[in-house]
Amino acid sequence: MHSTKRVSAILVGGLVAALLASCASESTPTPSTSGSTSTSSEAPEASGTLHLGVVTQLASFAPWEASWANQSPYLQAVYDTLLRTEPDGTIAPGLATKWEWNEDRTALTLTLRDNVTFSDGSTLTAQLAADNLLKFRDGTSENASFLAGVTDVEAKDEHTLVITLAAPDPALPVYLSQNAGLVGAQAMFDSKDAQTTPIGSGPYLLDADKTVVGSTWVFEKNPNYWNPEDQHYSEIDMTYYADPTALMNAVKGGQVDAVNAQSPTQSTEAQAAGYLVQTSEQNWVGFLLSDREGKLTPALKDVRVRQAFNYALDRQGLLKALGGGLGTVTTQVFSPNSPAYDPNLDQAYPYDPEKAKQLLAEAGYPDGFTLKMPSNNFVPESEFAIYKEQLGAVGINVEWEATGDDLFGRVLGGSWSAFSFLLQVDPTAWQTIQFSMLPESVWNVFHLADPKVLELADVVRHGEGDKANTAAQQLNQYIVDEAWYAPVYRPFSAFLTNDKTEAKLQSDNAVPYLWNIRPAQ
Amino acid sequence: MLSFILRRLIAGILTVITISVFGFLLLHLGAHDIARRLVGGMADPAIVERKAQELGLNRPLTTQFFDWAHGAVTGDLGRSWSSGQPVTDALASRLPVTLSLTIGAVVLTAIVGIVLGIVAASRRGWVDRTIQVLSLLMSSIPGFLVALVLVLLFALGLRWFPATGYISAGDSLNGWLSTITLPVIALAIGAIAGVAQQVRGSMIDALRLDYVRTLRARGLPYNRVMYVHVLRNAAGPALSVLGIQFIVMLGGAVVVEQVFSLPGVGQTAVSATVQGDIPLVMGVIVLTSLLVLAINLVIDLVQGWLNPKVRLS
Repeated sequence: MHSTKRVSAILVGGLVAALLASCASESTPTPSTSGSTSTSSEAPEASGTLHLGVVTQLASFAPWEASWANQSPYLQAVYDTLLRTEPDGTIAPGLATKWEWNEDRTALTLTLRDNVTFSDGSTLTAQLAADNLLKFRDGTSENASFLAGVTDVEAKDEHTLVITLAAPDPALPVYLSQNAGLVGAQAMFDSKDAQTTPIGSGPYLLDADKTVVGSTWVFEKNPNYWNPEDQHYSEIDMTYYADPTALMNAVKGGQVDAVNAQSPTQSTEAQAAGYLVQTSEQNWVGFLLSDREGKLTPALKDVRVRQAFNYALDRQGLLKALGGGLGTVTTQVFSPNSPAYDPNLDQAYPYDPEKAKQLLAEAGYPDGFTLKMPSNNFVPESEFAIYKEQLGAVGINVEWEATGDDLFGRVLGGSWSAFSFLLQVDPTAWQTIQFSMLPESVWNVFHLADPKVLELADVVRHGEGDKANTAAQQLNQYIVDEAWYAPVYRPFSAFLTNDKTEAKLQSDNAVPYLWNIRPAQ
Repeated sequence: MLSFILRRLIAGILTVITISVFGFLLLHLGAHDIARRLVGGMADPAIVERKAQELGLNRPLTTQFFDWAHGAVTGDLGRSWSSGQPVTDALASRLPVTLSLTIGAVVLTAIVGIVLGIVAASRRGWVDRTIQVLSLLMSSIPGFLVALVLVLLFALGLRWFPATGYISAGDSLNGWLSTITLPVIALAIGAIAGVAQQVRGSMIDALRLDYVRTLRARGLPYNRVMYVHVLRNAAGPALSVLGIQFIVMLGGAVVVEQVFSLPGVGQTAVSATVQGDIPLVMGVIVLTSLLVLAINLVIDLVQGWLNPKVRLS
C-alpha cells in the first residue's frame, strides 16, 4: 500500500516539476505558431520585432496570383508596387517616380527608379515591369480583371514604361498601387516555387527557415532596400489566426502588436485589454436589387417596389442588431472617400413601413409579393430571420433558399433577383461603377444597361476633376432614386494596436499599409 | 509472429487504399466551384475558368485520381492548391506539432489514468467513489470547453502559459513545454477518465479470480500480486482503450489546435477543407490513415507480447 502511495507521489511530482519547468518564462522564447523562436538575446532591441496578426492566409507570393486587402502586408513586405497610395488615398510614387496620362487618357507613361535591386541581385527595368503587368493581366489573381483593359505595355527605354488601354480607366493608378502593380524578379516567372518563394525588391526578405506556410511567415529586414525610411523593424512575423477566439486570446495575452478585429465585440474586448482601436468604413452591408427588368421577379421591375423595399428596412435597428451598433447607416453604395459620395444620400430612405405599403399598393401589389433570395453560411441564421420579418411586415414575403459552397457562382449567374451581401466600398467612383453598374459588370448579374447610367459613367471615365466628380454625384443620386440597391449600413472595420505600436489607417484598404505600422514614438 | 505482422500490414494497406479512393471521390463529388474558392469569391468567371484549367479540374475524375495515385505511391502527394507548397513538406512541418500533442496526451493519460484506476480498485470505499465521480465529470465536459477554461485560468489569468502559439522542442525545451502543456491537458482530460475506469474495472475483476486468492494464500506480498500479476492481466483491455483514445485524440487535436492556434495537422485539415485544397486534404487523409494503421499495429504487437493467445488468434 505504501508503495502505491510512493509511485503516485513520484508521478505527480514529476508532472508538477514538468509544469513548473515549463513556466520558467525568463529564458523562454516568444511563442509563435511557427515552431520558430525569437529570444530576447536574438532581438536587437525591444521594438525590433513586429508581431502582426493576420486574419487571412496568404494565397500566393507569385505577383500574377496575388490577392490584396487583408493579404497586402505579406506582399508589401517583400515587393514594391509601381505606385503607392497615401493613407487618404492620394496617389504617391512607388517604383515609379513620375506618371502621366496622354491627352485622351488611354496611355499612362511611368518613369521608374534606377536604384532598385531584387533579392536575387537583378535590377528593375521597364521591360521587367511590363512583363509583370502582362503576366498579372493574364494570370489567376482574383483581381486580374483590373488590367483587363490593358492592350499593350511597352518599355520605351530602360526606365520608361507606357501602359496602353483600350478605353480610359481612371482607377488604373489605384490598381498599380495594389496587387496589379507588384513587381517580381524575372527568375520567378518560370519557377515552380513562385507561390511560396518571393523574389522581390521590398523592404523585407522572407525567412523560409522560420516560416511555416499557412501559419506564420517571418521576414527579416532587407539590407539593400532602396528606401530604408520605410523599414521600421528588423524582423516582422505575421501569424494567421483562423479562430476568432484564438485571436482574441492572443490579443489579451499580449502576443500580437497589431491586428484586424474580426467582429464588433472584439473591439470592445481589445479596448479593455489596453489596445487602441481605430475604425474605418471599408464595406457596405445590404441588398443588390439586380432584377430590375423583372425577369425572375416581375414586381422588381417597378421602381416603386424597389423603393418600398428600401423604406421597409429599419436601418438603425439592423445596425444595432447585426453590427453591434458599430457602423453608419446608409442608403448609398459609394464610399465616403469617393467623389461621388453625398452625405444626404445616407438617409434617402428613412424607415417608413406605411410608405412602403403605399408604394407597393400603387405598383399593383396591395397584397405584397414573394421574393426568393439566397441565404448563406457566412452570417448567422438570425440575420436572415430579421430581414424576413422587416420585409414581411410590409408585404415583401421573403423565401430564403439555402445555398452550398457554390453561392458565388449561382449569384453571379443570375439565379436570384436580389441578394444580400457585404461588399467593399472603393476609393474611386469609377471602381464602384465598374463593379456593378455597367452592362459588362460581373456584379450587374442580369447585365442590364441603363442609358442614363451609361451617359454619366462615360463622363466619369473620360473626365477629370470637377466635371467627372459632378457626373459621379449625379450618377449616385440617380441610382439611389432608382433604388438599384438597398444598402443598410457601413460596418466599422477596426484595427488594433498595443501601446508599443502605432498605425495609420488606409482609406482604401482593409489593413494599414505595412510602412505605416511602426513603433510608437 | 512475422506472419501476424504481415497479415496486419496487408490489411492496413488495403484499408489506406480504400480510404484514399473514397476520400478522393467524396472530396470531388461533394465540392462545388473549387476554382472560385481558391481564386476568391469576387473574381470574374473568366479568371475562375482559367484557374480550373490550370489545376486540371476539367479533366475526367478518373484521370485526376490516377495522376494523384501515381504520385502518391512514389511519395509525391502533389502541391497544395492554396499555398503552392509540396504537400509532403506541409505535412512534415506540421506533424511534429500534432505528435507532440497526442503523444504528450497519451503519456499523461496513461500515467494519470492508470494511477487513478489502481488507486480506485485497491482502495475502494470513498476514494473509489470520488474517483468515479471525477471520471464522470471529466468525460462529460467537451474538450474545447476545457481548453477555453484552461486558457482563461492559466494563460490570461495567472499568465503561467502563453495563450496561443507553438515553440518546437528543438528551439527550446522550456518553450515547448510551455506551449503544449495546456493543449495536452485539454486533450487528455476526457481520455484519462476512460482509461481510469477501464483499469479500475479490469483490476477489480482480476482481484476476484481464483489465482489471486491462491497467490495471496501462498504468501506472496500484496504489492507483487497487485503490480506483477493483477495489473499485467488488467493491462490488455486498458491498452486497447489507450490505443483507441490515441486515435480519438488525433481527431480532438483539430479543435485543440484551433483554440491554441497551433500549426498542426488538425489546423491544416480545417483550413484546407474550407479552401477546397484537395491535394492537401488528401495528404492529411493518407497521413492520418497511416498513423492509425501504425498505432493499431503497435497495440496488436504489445497485446501479443502481453498475451500470447492474441498472436494465435
